[in-house]
Amino acid sequence: MKKNFMKRAGILLAAVMVLGGLTACGGKDPAAEGTTAVSGSSAGAGETTAEAAKTSEGGESTFTYAIAGDPGANVNVITTSDRFGLMTLKMIYSPLYMYNADGINYFLAKSIDTSDDNLSYTMHLRDDVKWSDGEKFTADDVVFTFEAMEKEENAGWAYSQLVYKEGAVKIEKVDDYTVKLTMPFVNSAAVEMFSQIFIMPKHVYENVTNFENNDVNTKPVGTGPYVMSEYSAGSYVKFTKNENYFLGAPSIDNIVYRIIENENTAMTAIQSGEVDAWIGTPAQVAQMNLDSANLTVYPYQEGRVAYMMINAARVQNEDLRKAILYALDKKAIADAALLSSDYYDLPWSFMPPNSKFFTEDVEKYEQNLDKSKEYLAASGVQKPELNLAYSGSDSLQSTSALLVQEQLEKAGFKVTLSGIDSKALSQQMKDKNNTYDMYFGGYIMGIDPDTFSSLFETGAAYNYMYYDQPEINELFAQGRKETDETKRKEIYTNIQKKIQDTACFYPLYSNKRLLVVSKNVSGIDAAKLVPVYTFEDTSKLQKK
Amino acid sequence: MARYILKRILTAIPMVLLITVLCFALMHFAPYDAIDAMTTPKMSQETINLIKAKYGYDQPVYVQYVRWLDGIMNGNFGYSIVTKQSIAADLAVRLPNTVKLVLPAFITAYILAVVLGLIAGANKNKKADKIIDAVSSVGIAVPSFWFAMLLIFVLGYKLKLLPIVGMHAVGKESSIADFLKHFIMPFLTLTVSFMPANIKFVRSSTLTQFSEDYVLVQRAFGATKSEIMFKHVCKNVLLPVITRLGMALPLLVTGAIITETVFSWPGVGPYFIKAIQGMDYPIVMIILVLSSTLVILGNLLSDILYCLIDPRIKEMG
Repeated sequence: MKKNFMKRAGILLAAVMVLGGLTACGGKDPAAEGTTAVSGSSAGAGETTAEAAKTSEGGESTFTYAIAGDPGANVNVITTSDRFGLMTLKMIYSPLYMYNADGINYFLAKSIDTSDDNLSYTMHLRDDVKWSDGEKFTADDVVFTFEAMEKEENAGWAYSQLVYKEGAVKIEKVDDYTVKLTMPFVNSAAVEMFSQIFIMPKHVYENVTNFENNDVNTKPVGTGPYVMSEYSAGSYVKFTKNENYFLGAPSIDNIVYRIIENENTAMTAIQSGEVDAWIGTPAQVAQMNLDSANLTVYPYQEGRVAYMMINAARVQNEDLRKAILYALDKKAIADAALLSSDYYDLPWSFMPPNSKFFTEDVEKYEQNLDKSKEYLAASGVQKPELNLAYSGSDSLQSTSALLVQEQLEKAGFKVTLSGIDSKALSQQMKDKNNTYDMYFGGYIMGIDPDTFSSLFETGAAYNYMYYDQPEINELFAQGRKETDETKRKEIYTNIQKKIQDTACFYPLYSNKRLLVVSKNVSGIDAAKLVPVYTFEDTSKLQKK
Repeated sequence: MARYILKRILTAIPMVLLITVLCFALMHFAPYDAIDAMTTPKMSQETINLIKAKYGYDQPVYVQYVRWLDGIMNGNFGYSIVTKQSIAADLAVRLPNTVKLVLPAFITAYILAVVLGLIAGANKNKKADKIIDAVSSVGIAVPSFWFAMLLIFVLGYKLKLLPIVGMHAVGKESSIADFLKHFIMPFLTLTVSFMPANIKFVRSSTLTQFSEDYVLVQRAFGATKSEIMFKHVCKNVLLPVITRLGMALPLLVTGAIITETVFSWPGVGPYFIKAIQGMDYPIVMIILVLSSTLVILGNLLSDILYCLIDPRIKEMG
């Protein structure tokens, strides 16, 4: 009897193992076999939890968005600056206005008047907005928020945007629905500096001294399209709609941010319908069978520029740098790393292609092996050897590095690749005497071109090329002071040309973020896809 | 015996202290500090200094250590750098979730391992032994994340029997049925990952006992196989097995890091992993201290258990 049982147990276990081995081989490409599973499920045998939850709540619609980290229960307007925290804030609170690549989109403010001396900005506020607890929103809330942001001890995320060595931005209440912000000096990027700051209710936070940890953060009162109704640590954040939202009540009843940290699990969850939206990489999206899983991909531009910088402290010969750049084929690199031209834009200068200051009127260094050889000969360097550092765990950078190596070898360079830890890399890059000739990196800066100066001015915090070009510094200083739009455009076109001419900076690609969404969700275009927050206004989303 | 136990407890205290020093020192000498995690490229040096001062990183190391240790002693584990949450409050939510998952899985795995190990050991080189031994060898080699993905793929994605993500469906925190549905896959994964090593242990322990002289004597006296097994061998086999229980104590915190991450189980695992990725040093340090303290406590517990169970040691003390 006992033996018999053992035998059966043994066989069962063995069977499980063997079966496991078999399915795993097929498991590499779940999409290929996904078709039957998905269509079979609509027959009703195995409902997914998302659907089950929906029906149990009596026909309420729920939109579930998979996020890769826990925003925590202490999100607040002043100190929260991580992506998931900001996404949570965007649901609950509203800013005066959003400032993105395509311009200003007003929320709590209706319009901005700029004074003749370009120092004061008068904001006219909406007078029909109520906080989710019923109190009226007024200019006092705005003044309160900006003043809290300017207090050094609060360590607010926007502190450096509002307080300069020349002084702090002055904020005054003109009347209940008008506030005036005064810059300490003329700065054409001022409108951007005041944007994206969410306004918190004075009557709730008045007596709070520590914004990071207090009793009110967990019961937020906001003006956003949704109200936070439930937070389950490590699991999800649930929002219910704010019927009194000033831009019209949202169409979807509940929005859930489901925390899924493992990429593979998230990928399976979006295909099984357990979540409705998720951010994927090109390689992950390529593995999925979008149609059978009823999914659509929305690539959107975050204004990121991935670059290769040449360390001018080591590669001092400009001809040699030009020889390097003429050997490279940008499009081939982007295609290999990002798989489809839908998923990237090609930048030709340091500005992201979606910026209104972006120009193609620069030296593009389009691949030209003859030119590369000419410059190499002119440089007088025999058998050039280079090393390229990149983040080894970043698949985009690893692929790009291989391509760069291959392309440079065709032009007669010997390239050593150093794939290192991303934190170690950035630490190394900060050191002027680092031992790398070239490195990969990427940035998302602001909308205004002046925000890029910290990358390109001599000695600037993020200038890892270590060149010395007083002309570029001078131009950035001019651009900062200039208020005339056309003149600014001229100046920044000039800067883009000059930087390209140094042959130290090579923009690789401007990769998009890929939002994978269930086809049951519509209104994505109306909700507008924006950097960081994903949706500019979730109230516009709809679910079938 | 009381003296022996007291001695063991007293030696454990400096070990725990040493561990806190080690954890703190290692984190301190890591090439990037918590400030790197908090600052963004847009911040000016002044703001960075400000943040440094705010979190006390401008103080000398020993002051930082003493303040930190003082905090731990008083149950103030500090705050996460990334989410600004109190770590003690976070762990209070997450630890029970991990225990809820690990404890049943471990107990199941343990009982199964004892049974299967005894069966295998008693039937040395017979078919049952070969199968159990082979399966546990394979089991040791199978990585838990792979087995977990396999379950997700088959049960969650293809057959759509079970939900893939989390511990509860949204808004169903009080439903036990819903919890069980979410529980099955991570539970199976953990059971399968805990079992093989324990089977091997019980099996080899059984084999050793069967080769002892007293078994031969019993046989010579004509004792039946089951008599030898349950009256004599079993007791001797279970002795080291029970003391192994103590060693399993740290599993309650770190036993399911990978499994929890794969299933988005809101336990200590994802919390720890996220903290490492985000360089959230206060969290990493606390969990390191917690789990290594549990290792010491586990060893202590093993010793004490051994002492209580085994009369030979009892007399020695």
